[in-house]
Amino acid sequence: MKAKKKKRQDDFQKVKLKVGKRKPRADNATNTSFRTKGIVLPEQLTRDTSGPTTHRRLGINDLLSQLHHYNANVKHSALLGLRELLSLNPSLLEQHLSRLISEVGAVFTDKDANVRVASTRVLRFIAQSVPADRVAPFFPLLSAHLSCAMTHIETGIQEDAMNVLDVLLEHYPALLASRPAILLTNFLELISHRQNSGSVKKAHDAKGRTWALSVCPNRAVTSQQWRLSVLLRLGRFLQAVVEERPSQAGDISTPNEGVFDSSRKGRITPLYLNWEELTYSKTGVKVYEHSGAKPSPRSTFRLRPEVDTGAGMHEGLDSAEAVQTFAATLVPLLLEVWVEASASDSPWNNAEGAHLLTPDTMSVLFQVLSILQVLRKLAPQQEHQDALDAWFHKEYLGDFEQHFMKNFPYGSQDTPKHKKKSDLKRSKQTAAIPAPTVEPLALNITLCQVMVSLSQRQELGHETDGDWLAPLRTFVRDTLGSGVKLSYRQLHMLLGTVWKMVLTHGSKTVTDELLAAVYVYYKQKHLTLQARSLLLSFYSKLYLQEQGHTHISRSKVLCRWLASLPVQLSQIGHRNPALSAQLILSIQAAASRGNKDLLNSLQTHACKLYDPQEGAVVLLPSETQQQMVHLLYFLPKMSPSLLANLSCCCTTGRFSAGLAASLIRIIHFRSSLGGWSVGNQEAALEDVEYISFLFSTLTGFSSDRLTSLQEVCDQRIRPCSPLSPLSLYPTPLEQFTHHWDIVEEVCHCLETLGSKSQCFDILQNGISKYLTRLGVVPDSMAAGLLRAVSRLLDPSVLPIDPVLRFLSQCCLSLLALLISLQQEAPAETKHKREAIWGACVSAMSTVPRLLRMVLQSMRVGDLSEEELPQLGQILSMLLQHTPLHNQLLANAALLQEIIQQLTRYSRGVTREQWMTDLLYSYSLTVAHSSSSHRGNLGLRDMY
Amino acid sequence: MKRVLCLCCVCEGANMAAPLEVIVSSDSGSQLWNSTVFDLHSGSSLLSYRGGNSSARTLAILRGEFLLSAQLGKNFINMWEIQRKDQLQQKIVCPGVVTCLTASPNGHFLAAGVAEAIYLWDVSTGKLLSALSRHYQDITCLKFTDDGSHFISGGKDNLALVWSLCSVIQLDLTHTTDPRHILGHHSLPITDLHCGMMGAQARVATASLDQTVKVWELSSGELLFSVLFDVEIMSVTFDPCEYFLFCGGSDGNIFQVSLCGQSLGRDRTFQSDNDGNQVFKGHRNLVTCLSVSMDGTLLLSGSHDETVRLWDIESKQSIRCLSHKGPVTNAFIVAAPANMFLPDSRPAVPLPRFSRHLQGSEADGGEAGEVCVRLGLCLQAEEETYLQKADRLNSLMNAVTDKSVFGDGENTKVRVAELEEEVQTLKKINKDLYDFSSQLLTKPT
Repeated sequence: MKAKKKKRQDDFQKVKLKVGKRKPRADNATNTSFRTKGIVLPEQLTRDTSGPTTHRRLGINDLLSQLHHYNANVKHSALLGLRELLSLNPSLLEQHLSRLISEVGAVFTDKDANVRVASTRVLRFIAQSVPADRVAPFFPLLSAHLSCAMTHIETGIQEDAMNVLDVLLEHYPALLASRPAILLTNFLELISHRQNSGSVKKAHDAKGRTWALSVCPNRAVTSQQWRLSVLLRLGRFLQAVVEERPSQAGDISTPNEGVFDSSRKGRITPLYLNWEELTYSKTGVKVYEHSGAKPSPRSTFRLRPEVDTGAGMHEGLDSAEAVQTFAATLVPLLLEVWVEASASDSPWNNAEGAHLLTPDTMSVLFQVLSILQVLRKLAPQQEHQDALDAWFHKEYLGDFEQHFMKNFPYGSQDTPKHKKKSDLKRSKQTAAIPAPTVEPLALNITLCQVMVSLSQRQELGHETDGDWLAPLRTFVRDTLGSGVKLSYRQLHMLLGTVWKMVLTHGSKTVTDELLAAVYVYYKQKHLTLQARSLLLSFYSKLYLQEQGHTHISRSKVLCRWLASLPVQLSQIGHRNPALSAQLILSIQAAASRGNKDLLNSLQTHACKLYDPQEGAVVLLPSETQQQMVHLLYFLPKMSPSLLANLSCCCTTGRFSAGLAASLIRIIHFRSSLGGWSVGNQEAALEDVEYISFLFSTLTGFSSDRLTSLQEVCDQRIRPCSPLSPLSLYPTPLEQFTHHWDIVEEVCHCLETLGSKSQCFDILQNGISKYLTRLGVVPDSMAAGLLRAVSRLLDPSVLPIDPVLRFLSQCCLSLLALLISLQQEAPAETKHKREAIWGACVSAMSTVPRLLRMVLQSMRVGDLSEEELPQLGQILSMLLQHTPLHNQLLANAALLQEIIQQLTRYSRGVTREQWMTDLLYSYSLTVAHSSSSHRGNLGLRDMY
Repeated sequence: MKRVLCLCCVCEGANMAAPLEVIVSSDSGSQLWNSTVFDLHSGSSLLSYRGGNSSARTLAILRGEFLLSAQLGKNFINMWEIQRKDQLQQKIVCPGVVTCLTASPNGHFLAAGVAEAIYLWDVSTGKLLSALSRHYQDITCLKFTDDGSHFISGGKDNLALVWSLCSVIQLDLTHTTDPRHILGHHSLPITDLHCGMMGAQARVATASLDQTVKVWELSSGELLFSVLFDVEIMSVTFDPCEYFLFCGGSDGNIFQVSLCGQSLGRDRTFQSDNDGNQVFKGHRNLVTCLSVSMDGTLLLSGSHDETVRLWDIESKQSIRCLSHKGPVTNAFIVAAPANMFLPDSRPAVPLPRFSRHLQGSEADGGEAGEVCVRLGLCLQAEEETYLQKADRLNSLMNAVTDKSVFGDGENTKVRVAELEEEVQTLKKINKDLYDFSSQLLTKPT
């Protein structure tokens, strides 16, 4: 109770105040010493949670709605924001593509220049990241906006529309080109205006022309520059239209699109098969889809004409008539543009300087010409193009001649120094127009091409176009002949011009002149690979065209070019396989046509080309090798030295055994013994040479090589011993296999020669003459000889003794080799052992005397201890081989003697496994012939 | 079908049972016979034609009435009537050695390759229609399509050319004709070619020394596929269904390539070796000619090893081997011509003399512009439409009724007179009968 009272008193303590002290500030007093400032919120406070935003936190919806704002700055910043947003979040692009395109397209026609520029940038960004097929559904809208901008009344908007067009041309040429009708009119309206329909009188004169160039004085640029920029786009647009056309492969006469490219492919991609692959059924052929009832769509047969898919309305440039109508409108305008431009060069338009042009004028002319060039190609089909050419020739040749050819060739004019300032100014003005500076050379070449395309195929009695073609010819000739450096494209165009000139002009002198100029260019040393292969294919295409153009086929330059091909091939060789392949193709074409010049030249250089060491044939890749081997067929004569080279090529293994076999067969076909002959083709080689070729290929080693083998002391050569009377040179496994395959082929060729006995006679002559003296023999050769003998021997012929002795030595040595191979490396030499064994056994079974001599040469007495088991193994192998039984039994006495001696000599040693095997197989053999009346006697003797 | 039917008629007519298909073959070594006809199924020799030897790919049967073949190494063509085996009928002398010869299936045209040129004769007049020299080297083979609308020539210049017959035959001699297509992917001379069925939509197989066989589409001239072999291919043929391609190699093997292996072998997948790509082994030298029988079961091959072999395609076995006296130059299976086994038959139209020069160079100016045009059966008259047929039928019916019901003036009078006369006769008979019977009744018994 007391404590409670005390506390309560504490609550109400008195504050004691003293006089003179300051009053403390109240706790709730208001401080009024602040200042205010306005708050600026550049970014939204509320976050737009629905999607990603710009750094100003504006979402895509905000930005798009801002595009409708009345203020140009807002629109501009919204466009900038859009670009930022889209580059940060590409996924937005896909979600909002339709809205984006419609909104951005709408500001193409904005009054403010900055907004238009920004919108173009956004469009470029969109175009870069969206493929054409996704834009396709929105493209009508886009092109509508574009047309709107192009036809806008304000010149600024028109000019900026060109930039939009640039973007679209760059990224969506196909879409733009698919509906050209409206755009073409727009182009025309940009540089000209339709004549008033009210002025009927005017419309009637001047070929009923209804369009006239317009001049707009309040443009930022001069009207000439404006026209240039429009023409530039028009040219690009037409080019796009041409490129998007389904191309017709194989039209020779369009000189621009890869005529000379050697890789002219068919329209159906053929299937290339290999017999080996086929037999192992790795690939299947399926020729007949729809069971072959219908021809392929490329077939030129039509049961009924194609039905028009369109609704009968020819839109744009799909028909020849439409193209012609458009050209009829455009060409006068182009001419007018050029005339005005050249007239503006008036200060220099005096007699001597008329051909000099300022850069601006030159680019105008260049654009005019390139549009003309593209116009030609607009025709939907080949035959239409010819018609169009004829029409151009008829309508405009006079105009062209007057306006273009008067001052040909054009040169560029050196701009005087004092104009630099105005140039600078102008360059500032024309910054938006990316007109490339045009070289006079390119200009002149384009002009050539346009004009030459007008020249018609001359017929008899037709008046000549010679007067205006002459300067063109001179120009082409000088350009090519003077060694001016040309770009690939320029060269292509020039060659196209030459092509057309040569084909349309039947005169031989003109052709020779032009081709000679090309040849001068061709002979330059520093050409790029691309240019050289272009020139090559130009010539080879020209050569292939010769049929029906006698002036071409008789052209001396072409003959000289053909004759020079083999030399070039031997010079280029393996250094440039691509070019060599092209050369070989040309050579092959000419050779198959039996061109005398080429064949003579080929024959003179054949030895060099087919040199086994550094000839082109061994150094090039395998496909080219095959083509070169095929070329051999066309040689009119094969000299002995060439045959020696070829034989070396076959045996040294620089190309595959299959190719070597086909080489041998080709020579076989070209010999008089080949069997396949149609007409009266002379044999390329004498029979003697052919047989000696076969023989040297059969031996597989050249005589030099063999003599050097005799002398050299090589570790690998197995020394001769009583068991192997010849010392064998072991060839590597690869070479052995290669040689074995070739031996089979040679044997096949020899077999088909006709009389077997004569053939064997030749073979044995060869052996006795060249080989019997040898002490060191390669094992592949020995096996090959045995194989050949067994295949070629006629039962009626008895081989002569020296040959038989040599063969028996070979045989015995090989058998000894076989045994040692079996011991050393059984696994990897399996093929080799089988081959050797097969060769020995078949030779011994076909020539009984050979077996006898082999047995006779097994002199047991001379053998050392280690060789006895080897001999035993050889014998037991022979005994186990059933096809040999009869022959062995015929030599039973000899056999018995050998075995007796063997048992005698090996008596000192304990009886080993080989001895048991031998005796067992011997007893089996002898017992097998139940009628043996003396065999058992001998055996009993031994035991 | 038609051919089989008419052959059946022949069988009935002939006293021995004539075969439907026969083998015709020739070799370059025989002294006695030029060419021989064998029965396809029994292999017995039926006929032999005498005189000279035929060179390769020149044996042809014209219209089923004549046998033609070029003499080996000479510049003329031998001609026999097909039933007279002993007697040489005529020799056509050519400007050079004939390297290949063929007759169009309808027998109207004869084409021969002489060196680099193709000579085309009209059989009915014997005129030389054109000499085409587009090949650069000797021509090795010539074939017509089965409808005779095109022919294909293969040469030593690695090219095969497809010619449209109608563009080749024309009056204007100054105009040079171009082949319809140039098939030029081979790199060595073409040795043989074969043209499949279906006229202009056929597929053509060409064989070449470059060890490939290429199959082309005739209508577009495009290469369909190419098969590379280990050896040179000397002959090629399809079976009639074009299931298989047969290629005769220079080593004596015959390779069979399945053309639709995958789809065909679906129910036979358990047999790995049965997928259609097979080798026929038996010949020892170049296989120069191949031919398949009409039903596609038998394959005939002729070789330089002096034999002609008959193979069963299904089992890949050699059924029969007909030995010859020299390298076989021609061997083919053909439906037996109707005249072949009728010794008394005569050709419907005798052959004219074949001229050696083009019309323009000949002196007979009167006939120079004339060319004989013969239309095929179906092309002879324009087919009537059904409407026209109905019209014709209708008018026929109308005519009948008109005539029977109404008739015209002249006819009616005659007819009425006839009828009246008949009425008179009947009346008279009736009266006679009445008189007779009344007489009989009234006669007192």
